[in-house]
Amino acid sequence: MARVLLKNVTKKFGNVIAVNKLNLEIKDGEFMVLLGPSGCGKSTTLRMIAGLETPTEGEIWIGEQLVNEIDPTKRNTAMVFQSYALYPHMTVFGNIEFPLKMARVPKQERIKKVKEVAEFLGISELLNRKPSELSGGQQQRVALARALVREPEVFLLDEPLSNLDAKIRTQMRFELKKLLSYELKITTIYVTHDQVEAMTMADRIAVMNRGVLQQVGTPDEIFYKPSNTFVATFVGSPPMNLIEGEILKKDNKVIFDAGEFSLELPEDVGIEGKAVLGFRPQHVQIAKEEKAGFVRGKILGIEKLGVESYGHVTYGNLEIVIQLPEEVGSNITEVYWKPKEDRIYIFDSKTKKLVYG
Amino acid sequence: MTPKEKERLIRRIWIVITYVVLLTFALVYLMPFIRSLVASFMTWAQASRYPPEWIPNPFTLENYQKLFRLELFPRWIRNTALYAGLIVAGNVMFTSMAGYAFARLKFPGRDVIFSALLSLLMIPMFVTLVPNYIIIYKLGLIDNIFGLALLGITNVSSIFLMRQYFMSLSNEIFEAARLDGCGPIKAFFYIALPLAKPALGAVAVYQFLGSWNAFIGPLIFLRSPENFTLPVGLSFAFQRAMWTEYTPIIAGSLVASAPTIILFLVLNKYLIRGIVVTGGKG
Ligand SMILES: Nc1ncnc2c1ncn2[C@@H]1O[C@H](COP(=O)(O)OP(=O)(O)OP(=O)(O)O)[C@@H](O)[C@H]1O
Ligand SMILES: [Mg+2]
Repeated sequence: MARVLLKNVTKKFGNVIAVNKLNLEIKDGEFMVLLGPSGCGKSTTLRMIAGLETPTEGEIWIGEQLVNEIDPTKRNTAMVFQSYALYPHMTVFGNIEFPLKMARVPKQERIKKVKEVAEFLGISELLNRKPSELSGGQQQRVALARALVREPEVFLLDEPLSNLDAKIRTQMRFELKKLLSYELKITTIYVTHDQVEAMTMADRIAVMNRGVLQQVGTPDEIFYKPSNTFVATFVGSPPMNLIEGEILKKDNKVIFDAGEFSLELPEDVGIEGKAVLGFRPQHVQIAKEEKAGFVRGKILGIEKLGVESYGHVTYGNLEIVIQLPEEVGSNITEVYWKPKEDRIYIFDSKTKKLVYG
Repeated sequence: MTPKEKERLIRRIWIVITYVVLLTFALVYLMPFIRSLVASFMTWAQASRYPPEWIPNPFTLENYQKLFRLELFPRWIRNTALYAGLIVAGNVMFTSMAGYAFARLKFPGRDVIFSALLSLLMIPMFVTLVPNYIIIYKLGLIDNIFGLALLGITNVSSIFLMRQYFMSLSNEIFEAARLDGCGPIKAFFYIALPLAKPALGAVAVYQFLGSWNAFIGPLIFLRSPENFTLPVGLSFAFQRAMWTEYTPIIAGSLVASAPTIILFLVLNKYLIRGIVVTGGKG
């Protein structure tokens, strides 16, 4: 068990800055998810912690030790790769036993430990098979077993579920979380670009974009207090609506003028001038008839996702997605809407940082 | 005829044409071999008759018997086997290590050294023949199978093949091994080598074929008849005009090529894989 601390960590590949001045602390026993789009430097961060890449600048601490100069074999981190990276020429038993063998654990003890871990993960019957004879989910478990068997202090997972089909993924998500957080209470860093995975598994989420850390926080903080427009749109589905416009004060009222329409904002909004208004499709009030403060919208199309359905409303180039109440039929062409007052966000028009909400 | 039937007919005609062409070429290439096989069971008198006859009459094993009566023949086979064995063992051992180093380890000058090695492929053997001869001579290893084998114990194309193979293996497997506690040397023995069996097989087969049939090298570096390899020995026997007839020599060449032919038939999937390995992604 150990905490992991990244201090000003930068990694450059030639001209590409994969990770830029990253500061992040992962607490002892915490389940931290690194979330971000493809190419944002998640894997690079993870690989630097494992020791597979050396940071160009900055310090990496594991426990009370600065590990920059420490060989990956001695860091006591274990990693599960996206491709599982099982040794194809060894049996499942051989795969799980391998790290112990390399650590010169006596044979009897190795057998005992492999059997324990296999039992724990429910793969005891597979021990004599080769990786090629296993299903994706089974390979995944073997990879987990191989990582767990040497009782690492830090557990690193790089998109471990992305090769599984949707149903097993949901099930494994839950199992992994239970295993790592509740049963083993091991410090875990989990990389994914799937926000649902991040929201359901993480104690805290670190959102990255283009090598830069955007925000760190609990899933609730990330969802309800996004620190900028990137986080606001990356987390949540469908993404948060962002509308550029201007905030004006008129007769004691705060008005957001989007050009095509205007909305009344709560009175405590103290900002004026250019701004970006944000609200989630789910946080919208709907009316079928004209109503004070509501905006008229033409519905371009309706997306039905089981119980929920989302209407797409357009104003020139601007497209807004709003959740429609269940009872609204699919042949509706017009709607009146208004974001819920306590669920709106305002971002600075230049820095895109949250200034209200 | 419906269009479908027509299409099927055309396809069938094409298959027939393909087969006829392929069979013709196969026959042309096989003809000398078949001729040798048949002639080795003929008397010289019948074999030299014109127009050529194709059925041994009388059928005779005399040619083979003569060959095995030759005192040095078993010795030549032993020498050839020793030579081929050394070459194969040396190549498997050294080129797998070199290929691994070039593919998986990072060290200063790696790519420069590798390019230099590759450029050796363009230097004809005859250019290095004299310096090699001098080196082996100075080592006192002329007329010695071991001296001869020393020259072929590693080989640039084998190194290249091994390197390409190691490069085609998934990076993540080696990274996983590293995190599991494998340094580069352990990773070589526990991961790289077991996974490289197909490539090692290809190297072994190529090198065996090459060394078993080698002629120029053994001819130059070996002196006394009792140290000869089979190809040199047979030609030596021919030059000394031990026989006035050619049929025993034909029989001798057939015996000499038997191991390579058998090996090819048994292992040709490795040979093909070797080609795929070098031609594959790198
Ligand atoms: N070995 C490398 N050499 C050069 N550039 C690299 C290397 N590894 C990563 N990069 C670059 O660094 C950036 C970050 O890559 P990284 O693999 O960390 O992204 P990621 O967040 O894991 O993305 P993904 O979700 O696609 O896996 C990318 O622009 C990538 O092209
Ligand atoms: Mg990645």
